[in-house]
Parts: sequence; C-alpha cells; structure tokens
Amino acid sequence: MFWHSFKYALRSLLKNRSMMFWTLAFPFVLALLFNFAFARLHDYDVFEAFDVAVVDDDEFRDAEVFSEAFKSLSEADENRLFVTQYVNRERADELLEAEEIEGYVYLVDGEPHVKVKKNGTNQTVLTTAVSQISQRIEIATDIIETKISKDPMSAMNIEQISKEAIEAVSEVEPNIKDNSRVMNMVVIEFYTLIAMACMQGAMLSSEMIDRALPNISSRGKRIAAAPTRKSVIILSNLLAGYIVLLTGVLGLIAFMRFVLGVEFGSNLGLICAHAAAGSLAAIMMGMFLSVMLKTNSSAKNIIGVIVTMVGCLFAGMFGGQKGWFDSVMPFVNKISPVGLITDGYYALYYYEDMTRYFMNLGGLLAIAAVFMILSVQGLRRQRYDSI
Amino acid sequence: MKNIIEVKHLTKSYKSKKAVDDLSFEVAEGEILGLLGPNGSGKTTTMNCILALLKFDDGKIKIFGKEMTPNSYDIKSKIGVVFQDVAVFDELTVYGNIDYFCGLYITDKQTRAEYVEDAIKLVGLEENKNQYPKQLSGGLLRRLNIACGIAHKPKLIFLDEPTVAVDPQSRNNILEGIKRLRDDGATIIYTTHYMEEVEILCDRVIILDKGQIIASGTNDELKALAKIEEKVTVEIPEMNPKQIDALEQIKNVSSVTYENGVLKLVYVRGKNNLAEMIKYLDDNKIEYNKIFAERPTLNDVFLELTGKELRD
Repeated sequence: MFWHSFKYALRSLLKNRSMMFWTLAFPFVLALLFNFAFARLHDYDVFEAFDVAVVDDDEFRDAEVFSEAFKSLSEADENRLFVTQYVNRERADELLEAEEIEGYVYLVDGEPHVKVKKNGTNQTVLTTAVSQISQRIEIATDIIETKISKDPMSAMNIEQISKEAIEAVSEVEPNIKDNSRVMNMVVIEFYTLIAMACMQGAMLSSEMIDRALPNISSRGKRIAAAPTRKSVIILSNLLAGYIVLLTGVLGLIAFMRFVLGVEFGSNLGLICAHAAAGSLAAIMMGMFLSVMLKTNSSAKNIIGVIVTMVGCLFAGMFGGQKGWFDSVMPFVNKISPVGLITDGYYALYYYEDMTRYFMNLGGLLAIAAVFMILSVQGLRRQRYDSI
Repeated sequence: MKNIIEVKHLTKSYKSKKAVDDLSFEVAEGEILGLLGPNGSGKTTTMNCILALLKFDDGKIKIFGKEMTPNSYDIKSKIGVVFQDVAVFDELTVYGNIDYFCGLYITDKQTRAEYVEDAIKLVGLEENKNQYPKQLSGGLLRRLNIACGIAHKPKLIFLDEPTVAVDPQSRNNILEGIKRLRDDGATIIYTTHYMEEVEILCDRVIILDKGQIIASGTNDELKALAKIEEKVTVEIPEMNPKQIDALEQIKNVSSVTYENGVLKLVYVRGKNNLAEMIKYLDDNKIEYNKIFAERPTLNDVFLELTGKELRD
C-alpha cells in the first residue's frame, strides 16, 4: 500500500508543472541570474592584491600582534591580499582622496579602524581582513588570560602560552591568508539561493499533505473514506515530495559548482548532508503549515513564501545585510531554516573546524523534529466538525 | 433481509444550526435507498457522519453490524463512495486515477488490473482511459468520479448527487451503471434532489427536510401521501369561466386552472377520470389539442408535506 501510494504521489508530483517549475526550475533560473549579476565571480582565481595604506604611528607600532598579522597579508607570496604603504595619517588621506589606495587602516586606543572612500569588493575584503585579525587577537588574549588566571605560574612561560593560543585560534577561525576565500564573499548569495530552493519543499509538502486531508480537498475525503491509514498516505506523499525536492537541490548545487563555479569546499558528504537536512526541515515545515492552518492551499503557500523570503532577507540574499541582521537580531538566523542552511554552507566553505557547520546541521534537524512532532500530534487529534 | 446500515438518533449541528436532527433509519442488504431532499436538507452531512468523516453530536451508527469509527478499516474496505465534488488527480490519466483509488483497497496487482478495466467498462470510458481529466467533458468527468469510487467492487456504495450538471447521455449511462451495481449485489445509498432519478432507481426513499425525516417508504407508499390520484393537462385555445366552473363540478376533481391556453385538472381519486373530462369537452364542442395525464410525483409529496417545492 505504501509503495502504491508513493508511486502515484511521485508520478502526480512530477506531472504537476506549476509545482515542478517553482521547485526545480525557478532556482536554476535565479542561479543563472545571480551568476550574471556577479559576473566577477569567475575572476576570483586570478585575484590580484590591491593597494592599501596603514597609518604607521605609535599606536600601530605598539600593537605588535596586529601589525605583524597585517604585514603577513602584504607579503609577496601566492596568498598576498594587499600591496601596503606605511604612511602618516595625512598622506593616507591624500592617497585615498586620489584613489591611489582602496582604503587605509589606523588604530585608536589599540582598536583597528578602516577608512574607505567608496563601497566595493576590495573595500569589503579590507574590512573583513581587519575585523578577522581583531577577532583572532581577542580570542587569543582570552585564552592567555584564562590560562594565567588558572595557573599564575604559567605566566613565566608566556611564549609557550602565546604559541598555544595562536594555534587554538587557527583551528577555529578561517584561514584568512587564503585570499580566494576571503574574496569570495558573494557566494553567500548563492548559499541563500540553495536555502530558498530547499524551502520550496514547504510548499511542496503542504500540497502533498492537503491532498490527504478531507477538510481541504475532495480527494482527501475519498482517501479518508478508504481503508488505508492516514499515516501511510502522508508518509508516502512526504517521501515522494522529499525525493523530488532533494534531487532538485542537489542538482542545483551541482549546477552551481560545476557550471557556475561556485565554491562549496571539498567535503561532498557534508555538502549533501546539509542539503538533505535543509530539505527535511522545509518538508516538515510544510507539513506543519498544512496540518495546523485551517485554510486553503493557496493561503498556506503564501505563508510559506513569506517565511522563506523573510528568511532569505535575514540570511543575506538581497545584499550584504546578513552581518547587520546577525548583530541586531542574532536569534533569527539561529532559528530560521534559511539562516541555518546558508550559514552551514558558509561554515563548510570558510571554516576548517566543523563545529559551526554541525551546529547548523543540528539546528536544521531539530527544527525538522519539532515540526514533525507538532504535526503528528495535530494529525492524531484531528476529527472534523465540518468538511 | 438483514440490515447493512443502522442509524439511530443521529444528531449533528454546525454551531447553533442543526444539520441533522435525531435521524434514525436502516438500509437493508441489496436495496437502493434514496435520500431525497432540497439543498441544505442534511443529505450529505448524514452521509459524511455515516462514513465517520465528520464528528457528530449524538447517535449511533452501525455498518455491517459493527460500530463505525474513523479507524474501522475492515468496514471501510467494503464501502465505496462517490462524492458530489469530482475528486480526481489532474496529473493522472483516467486509468491512473482509477488504479490509484482502487489500490487503496485492493493490493493484488492482477486483481486490481481486472477491477479497473471492469470499472472503465461500467462507466463507458474505454476510449478515454489514457486521457487526463482536463481533456474530459463534464459528463465524462462525473463518470470517472464514479469509477474511482466503485472500482474495488464494494458491497455498500454511497453516491452523493452523482449526476449534478451532467448531460442526458451521461446521466443515462450513470443510472444504468448504478442499476448494474445493484444487480451485482451492492447495497446503495443514493442522495439527490432529482426526484425523477429516485423514482427510476430506488427501492425505498427517505425524504429529508431541515435535517429531519419527513416521510419514508416505497415510491407508491410515498405517493399515497400526496392525496392526488392523477393530474391532467389539456391544450385548449379558448374557454370561458362558465365552462371552467362546470369542469370543477366533475366527480373527483379537486382543482381546475386555466392559463395561457392550458387547462390543468387535479383528481383526488377514482377511475376513468380522463374519459369523463373528454366527454364533457366533446359534448360542449370545446376544441382541444394535446392531452397529458400523469400520476403524482415525489415533488407533489414534498409539496404536500412541506408546502414548498423540492428545488426551492
């Protein structure tokens, strides 16, 4: 019975042109448009270091760790990010005004600041690099202070502690010397697109569940009158929807990776696992909407679209506002499936340590579990006053 | 003959409005029971309650001697339902739709294939089995709807207004199909507001109004309630009031009307009524054309009992 229902659910789904367009074709179309809009993505492999300046004053010279880290990004090797001039503040302003440099770095009370004249990719790279150096120093300082407070005698061997701290920081922070990765900020847009493609699953599963509910569709009445358990119909419908969705999402990832050249890192298993978890969360969310909302399929679809697009906005699909939302409303991207999917791919690509990735993966699975439990409870209690 | 369905004191309300009000009836094995009533009389709600699709406020429902609940899968496996709305998948062909719904009851593939073919033949869709619902006319779509509900050869069939908005050819096909299902041993509950279909098909009729049974019995038993024996209609180009008054004096005539060249006489009882009327027309040299005589209909019964037409 399960496979009979599954076979026809799959067949009817694949022949539903509207659903197939929004689930499978539309994300591909958007990916092409994104690729057109971010045409420079293809030039990342031939990225060239650009001109910047550093205000070489007492503050800079006192901040030894920062100055050394920044200088390392200006060394003439394959990972070079900047061609750096060390000048005074007035000269830095003159160079910036004349657009001979993209921006300059100066320190006030030990805190690094960046001054730029206009916004662009190079300016973003400079800001990101300075921000990440600062974060690393802060983490390393925390580690050293913690060690010394626990064991004051260890202060005697400060060199060893510093070395350990820097190693620890390197393990949890991205390798900012990999300039192509720092450069490739625009991939977040593509990651949100994958998240959006996954979220189409909410509409897909909502449609598949509505088919089995007698208060929504006449086909549901007929199914409810049959001697087949509701759970069998719903599970087979969901499985069909999940397979179609996941196939589409993996196809989209393959298209982005091999045709458009979007980077995802090299761990194929985790790339697929994240797509699977994201699709599952979306499918379960669709089931939740279908079961809990006593309204028609169109209204449920509209709600699904709103949830998806708001999630995409917070995750950074419509420009580089992800960081701003993360600082103002940090919880949103922690509970939004779109945010978790996007951040998971971001972590997978940028971070060597997998903690952040697995946090996102776990978040998606937790969301899927919560929606599933609530939906099952809703379905079990359902008897109809009117149909 | 044993009862297949027993409904006792069924009551169902939508907020403050009672849709079904203390309804009790039985359906015997092998009979076609007509549930007749105007729109909103509670026919479909009664059917949905019996099928355990709707919660109800009070009452007991037994099917095949067992209490019907949403999880009564053994009972459900013997029931076929044809809902008023067409309930098919646009993405599946005629064959695919019937096979899908039949497969919810019949797991053996070979048996199912035979049943699906039988259902297609029963409703006359042999030439359309590879077409999609959107390619079918309204009448053919209704036939598909019926085939999806009865392909698994159920012992008990609910048909909820299966001929609504159907062309005459499809209607005849559907009614013939229902007779064949009965001949094959199925028990059928047929809800409709078309009294002609009830008169053609049903062994017994329950007339509903405002969720209550206002009359039940065979066609003849119900018509006996109408206090009418015969209705005669005659086309007469010209008549004067005196002649109309004279017709009212004929034995057994209860009422006479004359409008737009049409004379209508209603007889309460008696035989040879028509002959007496024709004799009067001939004796008085009144010119007349066509004459129709008809027995009372269930609409007359409904009119008698409720004061309104079935289709009001």
